[in-house]
Amino acid sequence: MIDLLIGEFKRTWIQTRRYPAEVIGGIVILTSVFYGIFVSSQYMAGPTTNFGNRLDAIVVGYVIWTLVLYIVNDIANNLQLEAQTGTLEQVFLSPFGAPRVFLARAVASLTLRLMLIMIVMVIIMFITGSQLAFPVLLLLPLATLLLSAYGLAFFIGSFALVLKKVQQVLGLFQFVLLFLLLAPTETWVGGAKLAAYMMPIVPSIGLLRDLMARNEGLDWGVWAIALANGLFYFTLGTLVFRWAEGKAKRQGSLGGY
Amino acid sequence: MMPSDLSVSVPPSVFTSSVSNSSAPLSVPLSLSKPALESFDLRKSYGRGKRRFEAVQGVSLSISAGEVLAFLGPNGAGKTTTIKMIAGLVRPDAGWVKIAGADPHRQPRALTGVGAVLEGNRNLYWRLTPMENLEYFGVLRQMRRRLARSRGEKLLAEFGLSDKRNIPVQKLSRGMQQKIAIAVALIHEPSLLLLDEPTLGLDVESGETVKRIVRQVANLGCAILLTTHQLNVAEELSDRVAVIRAGKIVAEKPTQALIQQFSNGAAYHIEYEGVLSEEAAGAIAQLGATVKAQKIHYNPLSQGNAQSDKLASSATLYKILNLLAPLPLLSVRQDRADLTEVFLQLTQTPSPDSHGSDTLHD
Repeated sequence: MIDLLIGEFKRTWIQTRRYPAEVIGGIVILTSVFYGIFVSSQYMAGPTTNFGNRLDAIVVGYVIWTLVLYIVNDIANNLQLEAQTGTLEQVFLSPFGAPRVFLARAVASLTLRLMLIMIVMVIIMFITGSQLAFPVLLLLPLATLLLSAYGLAFFIGSFALVLKKVQQVLGLFQFVLLFLLLAPTETWVGGAKLAAYMMPIVPSIGLLRDLMARNEGLDWGVWAIALANGLFYFTLGTLVFRWAEGKAKRQGSLGGY
Repeated sequence: MMPSDLSVSVPPSVFTSSVSNSSAPLSVPLSLSKPALESFDLRKSYGRGKRRFEAVQGVSLSISAGEVLAFLGPNGAGKTTTIKMIAGLVRPDAGWVKIAGADPHRQPRALTGVGAVLEGNRNLYWRLTPMENLEYFGVLRQMRRRLARSRGEKLLAEFGLSDKRNIPVQKLSRGMQQKIAIAVALIHEPSLLLLDEPTLGLDVESGETVKRIVRQVANLGCAILLTTHQLNVAEELSDRVAVIRAGKIVAEKPTQALIQQFSNGAAYHIEYEGVLSEEAAGAIAQLGATVKAQKIHYNPLSQGNAQSDKLASSATLYKILNLLAPLPLLSVRQDRADLTEVFLQLTQTPSPDSHGSDTLHD
């Protein structure tokens, strides 16, 4: 399994390194979009407005949105791309089994993506003057966020496996995610708060905003909810993925595109 | 034509060296080992209701270690669906597959010994170099990375691609990509190799390289299931042929036996030296043969002999030879069908449904 993980790291790294224009383009676009949002907000609020930690909260929300969007699209996009290039069936011929291979791939590409996100975040902080905190404890909600996000990724990947064309769904899904990740759900109360806890990713993003933007401590009770949320969506995603693999094999459509 | 002796000497290569390093008992007589692949009564339908289409209808195949089975059929006959069912990529509606005794649909370890080139060169990461592809796919087949690299080096040398090892696959020619796809399928020394059109689009030299390697791999005990529309390649490489038509196997026999069966009743050609007496020439003509410039042509079918009536045609041939005595004979040969003729006869006659179970088997 370690060899598989290293193999996936190497494959992802080489493919990324060989086409640096894609990476540079990604950094420029991600930064420009945020700068567009920032400048628009500043225009609406007036030039003298100080956003304070609300700016930091939005920076955290935006950065996490780009990360989650990448994760959720990653498996589905790769499945479609590999079906077209013909490598998908070779992957399914691996004795490791498809879920383990795709998990190793996800971990490898996430590591590289985190590097990209860090660069974008530093540029945004430099441009906007945002001052985010990076306590070690943020790794805990980040882990639950990743669990939940990969659950979603496997879920969407399942549709890619069975239905093949999910580009339109992915396009719409990014706006749903934008709402989920930018809305300050941690300040909601009553039934809305309960609903927010049950939505994928949402409990973790609230905790990240508390830690990174508001300089608050980790609410362990909410983190336990975030952990349960992450485990639930990850388990659900992988189970649905296994079902989709069986379905695609019954349909004879595994390598189709 | 296929060489009659399959025990061709194998030059020192990645395949021979791998055997010497391996603890696998490849010296065991291959015919005594259990089948590398068994499939029984595989069935697969697509669609529902009126649009239901039975792609594969009860296909059973068995390949022993070291055997090459050419799986032939027209487009849409069910070859690819069958191969994908064998590889665990398409789930059969009924029937089962065993690879070295394990079911690839239930036991992923069954795939450990499977190598496949499913759709030509569409099996590679185009941004990676040949060496990087070989290493990656070796790891994907549960090899250690170092071992995958060293075997990859040897395979590239075997395919004559060592100088291309560091060039991204997308910049190589189609033939080179095809050879790399085959090398990738061999990286983990599979016991079962599934090759879908391995020589399609290759130039003559590349085609010969692929054929040589297929033979070498088979000689080392790998069972090979080969589909191709290049019937000369199938005839040259295969020990056995299975012809599928409309989802059913319509013939399955050793390649040479099948060709021989379709050669029965074909014309004889006799060449002799000296001058044939008019009396003997007349008697030979009476037997239905034609005599012309020290050559005799005899076609049993033109004399009304049934295709299977070998004895009658042989008896006539001996009478002709007796009439030629004592003139020296230069050659006696019979026209021989090739696999193309066999294939066309098997696939262009009326549908097998109209013949019930009229199939050719051992």
